[in-house]
This record gives sequence, C-alpha cells and structure tokens, in this order.
Amino acid sequence: MKKKLRDFIFQELIFVAEPGQFSDDDDLLEAGLDSMGIMRLIMFIENEYGVTLPDTEIEPSNVQSLNALEQWILRHKKG
Amino acid sequence: MSISKEDILEKLNPADSFTLAMDEEIRKDGLAGNFGCFALRLSKAPDIAMLEQRINEFCQRFPVALSSLQQIGKRHYWCKRDNPPPVFFLHHCPENKLEADFQQQTIDTIINHKQAREFAAPIEFHLLTGVTQHIFFIRWMHVFGDARSADLILKYLCTTDEVQRQQFGLPVTPPLVDVQLGKYRWWQKINLLWKGKRYIDQLDSLESIQPFHSGLAPQRMNYSIQKLSVAQTNQVLKLAKEQVGLTGTSLYYIGCLMRALEIMHPNSDGAAYCVPYAFNLRKQRAMAPMTGNHICALFAQAPRAVVQDRKALFAHLKQQNANVIRQQMDYAFLPLMWAGSWLSLAEYGKTLRLSYGSGKERSSFWFSDVGRMDVPSDSFPGATITDLFYACQVTTPPGLAFLSCIYQNQLTLSYNFAEPTSNVEQMAQLHQVVLAQLLGEPE
Repeated sequence: MKKKLRDFIFQELIFVAEPGQFSDDDDLLEAGLDSMGIMRLIMFIENEYGVTLPDTEIEPSNVQSLNALEQWILRHKKG
Repeated sequence: MSISKEDILEKLNPADSFTLAMDEEIRKDGLAGNFGCFALRLSKAPDIAMLEQRINEFCQRFPVALSSLQQIGKRHYWCKRDNPPPVFFLHHCPENKLEADFQQQTIDTIINHKQAREFAAPIEFHLLTGVTQHIFFIRWMHVFGDARSADLILKYLCTTDEVQRQQFGLPVTPPLVDVQLGKYRWWQKINLLWKGKRYIDQLDSLESIQPFHSGLAPQRMNYSIQKLSVAQTNQVLKLAKEQVGLTGTSLYYIGCLMRALEIMHPNSDGAAYCVPYAFNLRKQRAMAPMTGNHICALFAQAPRAVVQDRKALFAHLKQQNANVIRQQMDYAFLPLMWAGSWLSLAEYGKTLRLSYGSGKERSSFWFSDVGRMDVPSDSFPGATITDLFYACQVTTPPGLAFLSCIYQNQLTLSYNFAEPTSNVEQMAQLHQVVLAQLLGEPE
C-alpha cells in the first residue's frame, strides 16, 4: 500500500529530489503537500482502496506521513 | 516585423491561450493587458551588477523571455526578435521627491504602461532605488507564465550557487496541461468536455453578483496592499482550518471576501457570488516548468442567502470543492481550454466571461492565492527581502482581483481594482470588513 501511495504522491503531487531518501515517517506537509494535493490524494485512496475517508477526519495527524496515511486507510478498511 | 515559421520559439499551450484571451479583454477595456507583478521591498540597494548578471543569464537560458508574442494565422506563438527588448530597468528617486511618492508613481506607471502586445517584453525587471527605500519589481505578461513561474524566476535570481541555478527548468517537460490531457482517450476527453460544459451551465443558472458595477469605464489599474501581523495571520490560519478544514485555506479567504462584499453592497444585483480560481498542475516544490501557464480553473459559487450565514457559507464552499474534485470537475476545464484555444480571441473572451443565457459577467471577482512564498529573505543579491506583495490586472467587470500570499509568516492581501470604477477609499473600507471576517470578529 505504501509503495502505491508513495508513487502517487511523488509522481503527481510533490517534487522531492530523491524520493528514495524520503522515509515513511517524514513530514508530507513540510514537503509541500497542500490543500489541493490532499484532496487529490484522498480521491486516489478512495478509488484505489474502496474506502470512504470522512471529511471530518482530514487532519494533519492523518495525512502527515506515509505511515499515518496507511494507518488512516487501514482503520476504515477494517470498519 | 515580418514573421516566418522559422522564427517560432514556442507555441502557446491551452492555458496560455486562456490568459491571452483575458489579455485581449483587458486591453479592450483600455487598460495595459493581462500582467502579473511581484514587488519585493529590500533592506538596502542590492548588488546591481550581480542582479543584472543573473537576469541576463536567466534570459539566455530561457530565450522565450526575450521573445515577441506574434499571431501567425489564427494562432499565437512566441517568436524570436531581431533586437531583444530591454528587460532590466533602473529607476532612482530624484533628490527633490519623497521616496514613497516616487515609488508609488513609478510602480503605477509600470503597471499601467500600454504597449502593443507584440512589442511588450514577456517579462521586465525594475529596480527602484532611493536613499532609504528600495523595491525590486517584476512585471510579466500572464501569457508568459503563471504566478508559480514568477516565483521560480525569483528563486532563480536569488540562488547564489551556479550549479543549483542550472537545476531550474529541469526536467524539461511538455506543458502540463497537455500532459494531463494526454492521459485521457478521445472519448474520455469528450466526456470531460461535456462535464465541463454542464458544470458551467449549472453555475450560470444563478446570475452573478457584481459589487463594483458602476457603468464607469476603467481608466487605470490601482492596488491596495494590506499586510497582517504574525499574530493576525496565525489567527486567520487557525480559523480557516477550523471552519473549512485542512483542505480549504483559499476557500476561507474567498468566503470572507464574499461576506465582506455582501455586507458592504447588500443591494447589488444578482443571485450568487461566483469566483474563478486557478490551481496549479505543477508538483509542489518542483523547479520546472519555469515558463508558461500550467493551470486549470475551478469556481467557488455561493448563493446570497448562504453568504449571509457564515457557518453555512464555509460548510457550503468546503462541500462544493469536495464534490467538484470527487466528480473530476477539476480537470473538466482542460478540454474546454483546449477547445477555446481554437476560437478567435474575441469569441473566446466572450465565452470565458459571459454567462450562457443572461450574457452577463460570470465572475464576481478574480482570486489567486500563491500560498507561502519561501524565497529566503537573505538570498537576494546584496540585500535582504523585508516584504513582498503580488499584484495583477483584471477585466471590468468585475473590476476587482483579490490576491493573497504569506511571506515570513505574514499574510499579505492585495486588492487590485480599476479606477474610477472603484477607488482607494472603498478598498480601505472593504479591507476593514474583510479583516473582521478573516479574524472571525462578531459583526
């Protein structure tokens, strides 16, 4: 899952010189993930994983890193 | 000047053509054209030789900066010139003039300078110096680039290391509008085109409110810059997050201006506020493409009754934005821009501006948010950047463009307006109401 998220984020949303050096805990918001990017990312996740991520849960703690994103998706996949 | 196909440097992409149609519309109003501007206040006179060297280097690497916009057949192209235009200008305040007056008058002259489109330089750099006040001013034709282009060019000029400067503009890619359009098969493009058309038709079912409709012909552009303190900026960002969520800072600014206009002009005609805004197709922090427009457009629309209820307004704008992205309306404007680029400028301008049916102006005001500007304050050649603002031209109606950026944790709002349609006093009053809305103060 993280590989797909990583590919989408670095191919479509944020430029980082060396994506391989970007760890799963590094801060995506610091790296430039903006409001439009977050919306696109959510749409990608919903289409890709068949989950619905509630607007009320769009918070920094859920989108801050690849690990946080994965946890957020898994919580809804289980539910 | 006779032009042949061998002189073509670049053709316009569909988003460039979109801004060209707006250039034509602004020129039809009798104003200078569709220009954007960045102004940097500097701590002292900069290192002029170094600045000039970087500007020259930039123009050599990106020769479209010295080109001429020419029409060949029905289309427009950036073409080589026999004699490159001057792009760097020095303006020094005479001893007998107040520096603040000199700067204001000089910027006013630069912004309002009228020139045939094919003679105008795609980008100009002006350095205004005095004894104590210094401004570096960039004016660019919107057809040449969007605000992110100007931001990248500014960063290029502020990059000391030559090897790092070489990284700007890399990797070389086709226009991102074309890249995005290329992801769709032909039937998907047609599907998107109709989606876009239905989206616009739906917007047009409500007549747009025109707060500054006075019937007076515009004579010149003016601007009013308002900088918020760090504490005010933090308060605005906190409220934006609370009320519109992590995905909606720009929507918060738009909503606050809608509400301020409604408070100040409750009797203006129309049923809803309708505001176009662009989103950039470049990846965040990308250093390419340097020039050209890589944008697509969206609209924020809110009926008058919704605007009157603050909580309902932000919930509405947030939901509208989410729906638009969920339904992929955000990319639906791309094939419309592609199709529009084949129209004459007059037809395209009319299509972009006027509602189907009523034939009235669709936009209540223009909006652009460049977000956080992260050019380091100590990176300018030989001086420190103390302040920064952003300005642009706009058609009349709507006669108002509302721009925002954050620099050094301070939100700067730029009200760009056509005189005599509106005036400085009106903008000062408007800002007071906008500020109260941004800070969530009780009415």
